[in-house]
Amino acid sequence: MDRRDFLRTCGTFIAAGAALSVGGALATKAKGRDGDVFWQIDPFACTQCGRCATDCVLPVSAVKCFHANKVCGYCDLCGGYYRPSVKDLNTAAENQMCPTGAITRKFVEEPYFEYTIDENLCNGCGKCVKGCTSFGNGSLFLQIQQDLCQNCNECEIAKVCPSDAIKRVSYDEAYKLKDHA
Amino acid sequence: MRRKIITLTSALYCLQGFAEARFPKPDFTSGYQYPEILHSVPMEQVWNVVDIVLLVAMMSAVVWAAYKKRSRAVIYSMSVISVLYYGFFRSGCVCSVGSIQNMILAMVDPTYNLSWYVLLLFLLPIIFAVLFGRVFCSGVCPLGALQELVNVKNFRISRAVSATLSVIPWIYLAFTILYAATRSQFLICRFDPFVGIFRLGGDFGMILFGVGLLILSVFVGRPFCQFLCPYGALLSVFSSLSWKKLDITKDTCINCALCGKSCPVDAIRSPQSSKVKEARSKGVNRIILFAVLLPLFVAAGSLFVGTNSDTLSLANKRVYLYEQLMEKEANPEMEESLEIETFNAMGGNVEELKTEVDEIKHQYSVYSYIIGALIGFVIGFKLLKLSLKRSRKTYEISSAKCTMCGKCFNYCPQNLKKK
Repeated sequence: MDRRDFLRTCGTFIAAGAALSVGGALATKAKGRDGDVFWQIDPFACTQCGRCATDCVLPVSAVKCFHANKVCGYCDLCGGYYRPSVKDLNTAAENQMCPTGAITRKFVEEPYFEYTIDENLCNGCGKCVKGCTSFGNGSLFLQIQQDLCQNCNECEIAKVCPSDAIKRVSYDEAYKLKDHA
Repeated sequence: MRRKIITLTSALYCLQGFAEARFPKPDFTSGYQYPEILHSVPMEQVWNVVDIVLLVAMMSAVVWAAYKKRSRAVIYSMSVISVLYYGFFRSGCVCSVGSIQNMILAMVDPTYNLSWYVLLLFLLPIIFAVLFGRVFCSGVCPLGALQELVNVKNFRISRAVSATLSVIPWIYLAFTILYAATRSQFLICRFDPFVGIFRLGGDFGMILFGVGLLILSVFVGRPFCQFLCPYGALLSVFSSLSWKKLDITKDTCINCALCGKSCPVDAIRSPQSSKVKEARSKGVNRIILFAVLLPLFVAAGSLFVGTNSDTLSLANKRVYLYEQLMEKEANPEMEESLEIETFNAMGGNVEELKTEVDEIKHQYSVYSYIIGALIGFVIGFKLLKLSLKRSRKTYEISSAKCTMCGKCFNYCPQNLKKK
């Protein structure tokens, strides 16, 4: 073995050693399913600024409005459904808060109405969430729909979120829901 | 997209800090039942396993194709699979290149939960690089594969230009470390030129940049891999020290120079000695000079970046918010940004923010000195390496640069003779 070969072998061992030690050090920090691999919005930190609708890399944001029925007051005058200045409580488009008409309302019994979100129409603008949080029980809230989310290594919305409400979560916490029994 | 629907009873979020409901829970008399709420689970879990298995399988295939078969066809088909699967189907995220940032976060932030998936994405290509060279770059990385597929002609860039440009990946890597370690942003993801193409949408400027790079890569082999990719820079270090080295042919080289002309990344070094003739002592003196200068480069780089750390720290959201608040205080007529509005609405305390910002700025200062030293070292080391002259008898592959595209195999007359 000549000098160059010897140096080369030493180099290989150093490189392999470096790779293994860095890998080993990182492996001690790795957590299987508990690793933070999904993005999710903390509904209690969200300020409904509206950037979720505009900053997602998808043409239509992966952020959708979720509805916690068990928190909802089933009000007739719903802050999430109607615009603030509404005169008549009817379902005419000009009265609705939602720009895409994704919220449908159904009469249950006097005086209660059930509200349902059509996720396919929702663009995550959070207008209804703002209305519901300001005037109602806060049963409407924004969440990242996990099967739509592209799971970017750095979430574009998280980057511009003014209240840092979007964080990495593990599989078991893929949603942060407001429902409770 | 396949949708799996489950009820996430385990994920019930407790109502901490949630104010007393304004309206009482309705008292239904008509026997109304609350609808069952279903949420789609993330689809990632299954595909993560497929990603890793495919990563190992494709890298092994490239090793076999390059070392045993000397076949470009296999490598080329791997590129097609990579672009289709990792690129268009998996839409390019998370990738090994970007995983550098997750590793940095895991190292500096004890609260960061690193997943095995990202760790393997980062480590496996490096392990292969230590063993066989830049196998990952060859036909497995979707970014490299995309450029490989559109490459037609190779106009040679002058050695001086390419040596200068090859410092850029290291500078890029250095700033990636700075911004990831201070939790400011993921630079590699932000300036990923091809992810927009894979997703058929995204930031317009970056797509334009990506298309520009692709047009360039028709005429110049892999401009992104050669002059931008920070992961490529990292792999090239491991590759240059690799266990096995690729050779163009098993038979004796006849010095026909065809392989050198075919290489898209100029990784094949000719046996001809340097055109500029000079005395040996002059060369030795130059090496000694650069070796002496190396610590000076390190110090200069460290000082240069380190003294500018305050400007660099503006990339951090919190620092920027603080600067905005200060500006607003000095000039109350200024329009209030959404960030300031939110900060005030949430009852933010400027004093607390200031302590937080001071801490971040301190981190910036420390890391700036470190990355400045790294940049200085790389520049000094490159100069030193340029002045090392080796005499070769035949055409040889520089394993640091070679991206294993396999083009040279088909140009070598010794290989063709066998077929």
